[in-house]
Amino acid sequence: MIDTIHTLNILLPIFYFTAFLIYLYDFLKEDKRINNSKRLFLFLTSSVHILYIIFRTIEFDHPPITNVFEIFTLLAFSISFSYFILELITDIRNTGMFIIILSIAFQIFSSFFIEDLTDVKEVLRNNLLGIHVFSALVGYSGFTISAVYGFLFLLLYNQIKQNNYGIIFNRLPNLETLEKLCFYSAIIGFVLLTISIIIGFIWLPKSNLNFSYTDPKLLGTLLVWILYGIGITRKLYGNMRGRKLVVISLVGFILTISSTIVSNFLAKSFHSFY
Amino acid sequence: MNLIGISINHRTAKVELRESLNLNVSEVKNFIKILKNNLLKEGLIISTCNRTEVIGIPYTNNISYQDLINALIQFKRFENLSDDNFEKFKFLQVIEHLFRLVSGIDSMLIGDNQIFKQVKDSFQIADEENFIGFYLKKIMDFSLRVGKRSISETAISEGAVTVSFAAVQLIEKIFANLSKKSALIIGTGETGEIASKHLRDKGVTRLALTNRTFDKAEKLAKELNTAVFPFDNFKEHLYKFDIIVSATGSQELILTKDDIQKAMKKRNLEPMVIVDIAVPRDVDPESKNLENVFYNDIDSLNIIVELNLQKRKNEIPKVEKIIYDELNNFSEWLNSLQVSHVIKSLRDKFESIKFEEVQNNINRFSVDDREKLELVTKRIINKILHQPTNEIKKLATETNTQDLNRIKLSLVQELFGLNNFNEQGKN
Repeated sequence: MIDTIHTLNILLPIFYFTAFLIYLYDFLKEDKRINNSKRLFLFLTSSVHILYIIFRTIEFDHPPITNVFEIFTLLAFSISFSYFILELITDIRNTGMFIIILSIAFQIFSSFFIEDLTDVKEVLRNNLLGIHVFSALVGYSGFTISAVYGFLFLLLYNQIKQNNYGIIFNRLPNLETLEKLCFYSAIIGFVLLTISIIIGFIWLPKSNLNFSYTDPKLLGTLLVWILYGIGITRKLYGNMRGRKLVVISLVGFILTISSTIVSNFLAKSFHSFY
Repeated sequence: MNLIGISINHRTAKVELRESLNLNVSEVKNFIKILKNNLLKEGLIISTCNRTEVIGIPYTNNISYQDLINALIQFKRFENLSDDNFEKFKFLQVIEHLFRLVSGIDSMLIGDNQIFKQVKDSFQIADEENFIGFYLKKIMDFSLRVGKRSISETAISEGAVTVSFAAVQLIEKIFANLSKKSALIIGTGETGEIASKHLRDKGVTRLALTNRTFDKAEKLAKELNTAVFPFDNFKEHLYKFDIIVSATGSQELILTKDDIQKAMKKRNLEPMVIVDIAVPRDVDPESKNLENVFYNDIDSLNIIVELNLQKRKNEIPKVEKIIYDELNNFSEWLNSLQVSHVIKSLRDKFESIKFEEVQNNINRFSVDDREKLELVTKRIINKILHQPTNEIKKLATETNTQDLNRIKLSLVQELFGLNNFNEQGKN
């Protein structure tokens, strides 16, 4: 099985890249013949990826959540799969390449640096940790998708304002839909991050001796949570919409990435387990 | 099959001339009766604001394009036309022209999909008048298939190509569901009226009108069942609308940036689309710089129109490929028809020779042998005809050598005297 895992580890970035190319081709050419096949290929990619995750879990006797590169592969899967579901529900087919490109980035990082870890700290085999990480991951995927739609909103907004009716104008869905997708993805992200934070607050102080309320990861996550909380509340009360709202989503996403980099690579945090 | 056609259209005649030959439904029906009397066995008349077309199968080979042109001119009692005002087509050219027409690439506004419906309706009228026979029915099937394929397999009819449709396309790029949006039309002249109807067609239910002459606005409002605001105080209601379309003949600005800013404040910065199709402009173009205000004047809408027209032009080769595909299919069908006719004649001819010879010599055979004679002669005929029948059948599938095939078929008919044989059969 280890050989299969290594092969899939190499194949996954290629799969995501191919899916990206198909979506890009359709975006540029709007080829009706590949309209359905691109969706099928994304499903195939997600299926291969889920197999890879299952094989790793069985082979190394723990889910791939013990370090940042294992989490990156989960994030790559979670982002693309969430998009796949979103495409099925909304039938908006022309935004895939903007999202899959993020999966490519996460998967390339993961494929390059991931290790075959069999010995992990006992704390990382805990079920509550599993739920904590899973909800945080899906939450972050929500924020990522929200940021992508926010970015597309700004792109289209500026194109319309500048009377630029090119490919972006023709292919993207309307501004109201982009804003909705950005907002609802942020809500999903916010709810799941809230669950993750609650579990973290209940469980981590008891299980981790190095736990600190001033931990950079914790502070960064709280900042992200507060920012999204403010944005969502203001939108719900009708005080914020359009450009300002999507800018909050983009800032939140940048903050999320920065917080992950700081806590995992630069600062000393109890969230760094390796 | 002898097929001829004439067309007066935007390439051959000015609008005044085209108008003079335009036929309404009842005129089409009357003209069909005249054509059926002495000119065409089967036929079709297409008459739209941009063209009048007559195609059909003449009773004899002596009937020419000129007879159709004369009949049309006499029917409409209009003399100021020259030969150059008509395009003339013969046989497959007629089919190709019809395919180009129904696909929209022959229209003045490339990709105009109204023509598909107009051709379909024309076939229906001809059918009701018993003007559609065996051949025209098949031509109709092929034509409608070309029309459908062009719409579904290419983007020839996609994108707005008029200013008012471009405005709707733009509005749809900002709002998701127009049925939940409200619109105010300032100015109820022809442009304002068209814009109101387009928005109503697109599902905008909360529509309001305002006009300097209140009675005019009220009249249109009644027709469209919408609200009307007096021109003096419509600015007070501006904030209630997501879409503002302005099309007045005013020489000064009707809405300043300040008016829009106030309205935006009142509507809590909810997006507002302003379509200013007036020349000179009605709304201060500086409004464009306001947050969530999407201001577009006639020039910016024309950019959309030009881009869409170019995109449609780029689709023409794809449509032409469909046309040539279907032309091939049509030729194949036509060939198979001629081929099966020749095979049947050939077999009938041999059968008749066999019958004649058997009858002449029947007394030379005993009663018991007569049955065997029948069987043996039948086998001989089958064996003789097996190879030629296969070779003739092949001609039906070879569409790229049609002229040669036609010569080959004529040769077979001549060699075996099938033409004389058919004539005798008819007599």
